[in-house]
Amino acid sequence: MADLGRAALVVSLGLALYATAAGTLGALEKRRRLADSARNALIACFCSTAVASLVLALALVHHDFSFAYVASHTSRDLSTIYALTAFWGGQEGSLLLWLLVLTAYGALAVVLNRRLLRDLIVWVVPVIGGISAFFAFILVAVSSPFQTQVPAVDGAGLTPSLQNPYMVAHPPMLYLGYVGLTVPFAFAAAAMISGHTDERWIVATRRWTLAAWMFLGFGQILGAHWAYVEVGWGGYYAWDPVENAALMPWLAATAFLHSVMIQERKGMLRVWNMILVALAFELAVFGDFLTRSGVINSIHSFAKSSIGAWFLAFVVVTTLFSVALILWRLPLLRARTKLESPLSREATFLYNNLLLVALCLTVLWGVIFPILTEIFVGQTRTIGRPYYDFFLRIFGLPLLLLMGIGPLIAWRRSSVRALLKTLRWPIAAAVVAGGSLIAAGAGSSRPGLIAYTFSAFVLATIVVELVRGTRVTGSLFQLIARNRRRYGGYIVHAAIVLLAIGIAGSSAYQTEREQKLAIGQSMIVAGHTVTYKGLEHERTGVANETRAVLALSGRVHGTIRSGVNSYFTGDNSREVGIHTDWLRAEDTYVIFDQQQGKYVYFKVLIKPLVNLIWVAGFVFLGGSLVALWPDAREQRRLVARLALARG
Amino acid sequence: MTELILGGLIAAAAVVLVALPFFLGSDEQLDAVDDAGERRLALIDERDRALAALKELEFDHRAGKIDDADYRALVGPLRRAAADALQALDADGPQE
Amino acid sequence: MVALAVAGVLAVFLLYTALGGGSIELLQPSNLGGHAGTVSLTGNVRGPVTGDAKTDTGLRFSLHNIRGSSPLIPIVYRGSVPDLFKIGRDVNLTGHLEGGTFVANQMTTKCPSKYTATPKNNI
Repeated sequence: MADLGRAALVVSLGLALYATAAGTLGALEKRRRLADSARNALIACFCSTAVASLVLALALVHHDFSFAYVASHTSRDLSTIYALTAFWGGQEGSLLLWLLVLTAYGALAVVLNRRLLRDLIVWVVPVIGGISAFFAFILVAVSSPFQTQVPAVDGAGLTPSLQNPYMVAHPPMLYLGYVGLTVPFAFAAAAMISGHTDERWIVATRRWTLAAWMFLGFGQILGAHWAYVEVGWGGYYAWDPVENAALMPWLAATAFLHSVMIQERKGMLRVWNMILVALAFELAVFGDFLTRSGVINSIHSFAKSSIGAWFLAFVVVTTLFSVALILWRLPLLRARTKLESPLSREATFLYNNLLLVALCLTVLWGVIFPILTEIFVGQTRTIGRPYYDFFLRIFGLPLLLLMGIGPLIAWRRSSVRALLKTLRWPIAAAVVAGGSLIAAGAGSSRPGLIAYTFSAFVLATIVVELVRGTRVTGSLFQLIARNRRRYGGYIVHAAIVLLAIGIAGSSAYQTEREQKLAIGQSMIVAGHTVTYKGLEHERTGVANETRAVLALSGRVHGTIRSGVNSYFTGDNSREVGIHTDWLRAEDTYVIFDQQQGKYVYFKVLIKPLVNLIWVAGFVFLGGSLVALWPDAREQRRLVARLALARG
Repeated sequence: MTELILGGLIAAAAVVLVALPFFLGSDEQLDAVDDAGERRLALIDERDRALAALKELEFDHRAGKIDDADYRALVGPLRRAAADALQALDADGPQE
Repeated sequence: MVALAVAGVLAVFLLYTALGGGSIELLQPSNLGGHAGTVSLTGNVRGPVTGDAKTDTGLRFSLHNIRGSSPLIPIVYRGSVPDLFKIGRDVNLTGHLEGGTFVANQMTTKCPSKYTATPKNNI
């Protein structure tokens, strides 16, 4: 069966190369049959990649240990669902997943747009073909999931800490995001190559970009939750290079989603948008490179392998390609209108973009700093958390403020007087909130206080917008349904505000205490009394589970179990105990640090408002879906527009 | 053996799919939009943009986001822009 | 204007990281010798492992280069011991050299060679 998989991948490679070559020729010479054939090749490439994927999936489910990949990532006792998630548990399989998603997106994009955008699609095909050819090449020649061996009796198994629902959802969701950014990139490249640099490529890819961005964003929140409950150090984001690898393209994509609105309305920022979409794509691939090559001292990284060099080459080549395209088409892209006033909605979008890109570059700098210092100074130096926290505040807090000003400020130009007038209710809300917060003691952290106050401001602006809009349309549902993009966007803004409040609360106002307790003893942390009641032991099929039972009293009441799993494989894993107070969205987080005779060292963290982060994830999803929702009217308009042009 | 047959089938299907356009389609030039059409598209986009901006201004005014004074100041140029765009589109020539 | 803003921002990072002492050096047992100040040491845990990380004497073990040859650096660690700590694991320690011993107060483990998406970080 492995031979079938290998053959299918070779077929994929061949088809991808054909799609690139024939597609380029067909587009250059404007030969329809050749272009259609290339497009079909891309679709066929998806089919053969699907076959290869099916082969691997079946091998995993049937525990076929003649596949080296199956043997090293699963074992006989693994349930079907975790055997399947091992598909993306290793390098070769995750590469195959990447190619599968890429060819699926590519096939879908060209099929859905084949009538509306022929002059662009003819170039989209070879671009996606070329990118697919790279991944197919890696899978065929460098890192094959179909290596065979003498069948082992049993496999090495999946690390117990990976056998959880997060492993099922998190990587595929991130891949749907990363790979999804290829589609707008391909359309942008096609627009530049064909010379059709107007807005049609943006309108065509808007939902693709939004979907990819949604998956990438939600996938990161899933990852954060995973880290919080399973890994259990008390935090949810460590600014680890692999975490940053997902954050960077997401930030670039966020900037892009905003600046395209300016291009659609005013025809401005066209060069900037090309740069942004290329940046988002390159960062997505670069992120993949970071994860695979182990080039940076990251706790996440795959084992170091030669694949890093190939990926780096790919990133360099595609970056040069994008730069060359943009320089070539610079005359076509130059804006026809200019920014009229620094106090206008266009300007706030520009500031928003600058801040997002600045934050993105901050993270990038932090990630590549060790490599740069090693090359230029001879020392390997890493940058720690304080750097990221500092710049997150410097760029993030103004961004938060802009989220409130942007939707309310007028287009083209506004005056301070007009602005203050529109913003009077939100400003009042912010002042009231700020005052109450200081009275409640939130002044202990200045950035926290600012974050809360700005959040109140933005939430007030969203409420004001919704109220005003509902007055016009009569119902909130009608309002949102008729302006899905705008109000979906406001819902997403609300999600970001909840995220900001959750992050500020759980970091700036967190209380942490470490103490050793004997049975019967208590510790007091921020108004909570945690009493160590006793120790429980349980033996399961895979581990000896030790749990300390703790009683929570004081502000809230409950029982927490926190302990350690000692797996028979020899590994240990801490299982933290979390008690959630949903009314306050606050968590009492207990880590079983170490046993010492009859004592146990506990670390207790009180994390205010942390659960708003998870709520924000769902609001984010909802808002994105609203903005994504297909609009029949818009589709009709696009078709009519094209018919009108054809005469 | 089954592997070989399956593999052969896949390869054959791929070849068929790829070769199909050469037998079904006619090798006409890609019926892309020509230069005149491109011009028209640009004018249509201009018109749509102007109309959308006008519509947004009306909505924001009714919603109370833009007061009467600002509305009066902004609506004139926008209406002119929309009128110009419509005129340019008509001037470009009636459809066949 | 955009280009200037970007350049300005980059200059700020450069200054912050170069001057602000925001960075910490990454070392291995083979090149640790003589370094003063707080550094980050990565290596492979060698036995014997004695002591208790929660006592004053601390947890004691030795560290060797992950790859290649190196001296065996004696380690004294006080703090939280990560889940995956054991002889033969790769760890990362933050601390400083005192005499010939590396005294550390933060430890993180790398998950074994396979892909695991979990950072094991004790902050």
